Amino acid sequence: MLRADARAPPGRLPIPILFAGTPVTEKSLFAYRGSSSGHADLILGICAFVGFIGLWYAISEFELVPQRFLPLPWKVLEALWFMLVERNFIEDIWISVTRVWGAFLLSVVMAVPIGIWMSSYRIVGAVIEPIVDFIRYLPVPALVPLLIIWFGIGESSKIAVLWMGTFFQLVLLIADDAKRVPREFIEIGYTLGAKPNRITRDIVLRSMLPSMVDNLRITLGWCWTWIIVAEIVAANSGIGHVIWSMRRFVKTPEVMAGILTVGIIGLVTDQAIRLVHRRYFRYL
Amino acid sequence: MAADMPFLRVDRVSKTFEGDGRTHAPIKVIDAVSMDLQAGEFTVYLGPSGCGKTTLMRIVGGLETASSGTIHLAGDRVTGPDRRKGMVFQTYTSFPWLTVIENIRFGTKYRDDIGAAEKVEIARHYLDLVGLGEFANFYVNRISGGMRQRVAIARTLAAGPDILLMDEPFGALDAQTREFLQYQLLEINRVEKKAVIFVTHDVEEAVFLADRIFMFSARPATIIEEIRVADHVPGERTMTTKETEAFFLLRNHVRDLMRAEAKRVEDAFEPAESG
Repeated sequence: MLRADARAPPGRLPIPILFAGTPVTEKSLFAYRGSSSGHADLILGICAFVGFIGLWYAISEFELVPQRFLPLPWKVLEALWFMLVERNFIEDIWISVTRVWGAFLLSVVMAVPIGIWMSSYRIVGAVIEPIVDFIRYLPVPALVPLLIIWFGIGESSKIAVLWMGTFFQLVLLIADDAKRVPREFIEIGYTLGAKPNRITRDIVLRSMLPSMVDNLRITLGWCWTWIIVAEIVAANSGIGHVIWSMRRFVKTPEVMAGILTVGIIGLVTDQAIRLVHRRYFRYL
Repeated sequence: MAADMPFLRVDRVSKTFEGDGRTHAPIKVIDAVSMDLQAGEFTVYLGPSGCGKTTLMRIVGGLETASSGTIHLAGDRVTGPDRRKGMVFQTYTSFPWLTVIENIRFGTKYRDDIGAAEKVEIARHYLDLVGLGEFANFYVNRISGGMRQRVAIARTLAAGPDILLMDEPFGALDAQTREFLQYQLLEINRVEKKAVIFVTHDVEEAVFLADRIFMFSARPATIIEEIRVADHVPGERTMTTKETEAFFLLRNHVRDLMRAEAKRVEDAFEPAESG
């Protein structure tokens, strides 16, 4: 037993250095809705990730699954490096990123005002909501052929697919965010002398901003699902296209490298937005 | 016409919430209530919960419309909410994304009668008046509930209203904080001299704060009794007023009125056909 363990009070984890300053006990880790600790959560997250890679390595190394189907982790990294250096994969990444952000921003600039509008005036909500509700239940992959007939296989059809997949969800999420702004906030606005357009801008939009940013973050994630679908069906560039063409030669490491790229981009963007969230909504 | 008009005139105001014809019957909540208030008068609406006193106050504030009857404030017909009728709610309405001082400054945001420099000065003045100087740069969810209500009061005053409408503003606070804020509210209004309509169902609070109490019946609200507190409890209100015999007697009288009204409602109870 380590000396540190002997000094640790009962119930405390035997790694006091890692948890320096944070009174994390086994009790609070396993308690239902126990108090959380940034340090402990981060370390647990990293441990789980390393464990996952380790499991993958073991399965592949001992050929529990043929390596043709599950290559070693470093083979995937090697493939990724090769694609970036030799195959100009960075350009495909860039194309996919611009498609995603282009379509996402288009959805946002339309959904935010329309969503707030829907929640502000009953007539707008009553007119728009049934249509939105109907369209948002249409499976996006089913719309891809139609959108290709309409928009061809150029950039506009990709944007259209992503837009169809996000706008109709987002507009309802935004409308909900706006509806959750307490009625008293709006009445306070009136009794301080604000007109409806100022109430929308200074109170409703500001009040709903944190939950809206969360919804935008989640919606941006969906964009990455739909872009791969769109690029697999009809494209000659982009990450989805690369994944699909590598599949034809059963280049599993390359396919997995493509998937990994999407995962990394998603993780980085998500963390970046979370950081912005913490930075600008410090009052929460 | 404005010449013989009192500061605030409530003239035969009635309110019926329309039913939908199927599951909800129309509910009459206020029945032809009239009253005149003087400038600077502290008025308390007292009555059983759900009696319609809040609705009447909201009609005065222009946040609800009367089914019939009119309200005139300083000679002008009340048709909707504006800066002249300041509101303080029971729920915490100070904005969480702003600090204490920013919240108070928000009260001046839509004033076009004063310049930017004066707005800053006014916000500072009300910050000090409610005694939150050292918490100026705290976000409002870092301070206590009592402080949040003081922020809300300061913000409302910073907008420069003619009348202050307060809907059970201390209802969610613990007893000690509530007493302290009642006293502080009187102190503030000794400086401000605003007309106030204060809605509560707390008898002691009503007797302690009011110049005049309007005791309302259960729904539909009508005025059961009008009490000029100074006739019963003479002198300036202080921390010890609640311990005087005069206060005690008036409080008991008002409490008996409340109990009688509550009993009358219980005895007349019929299962409602609507929820």
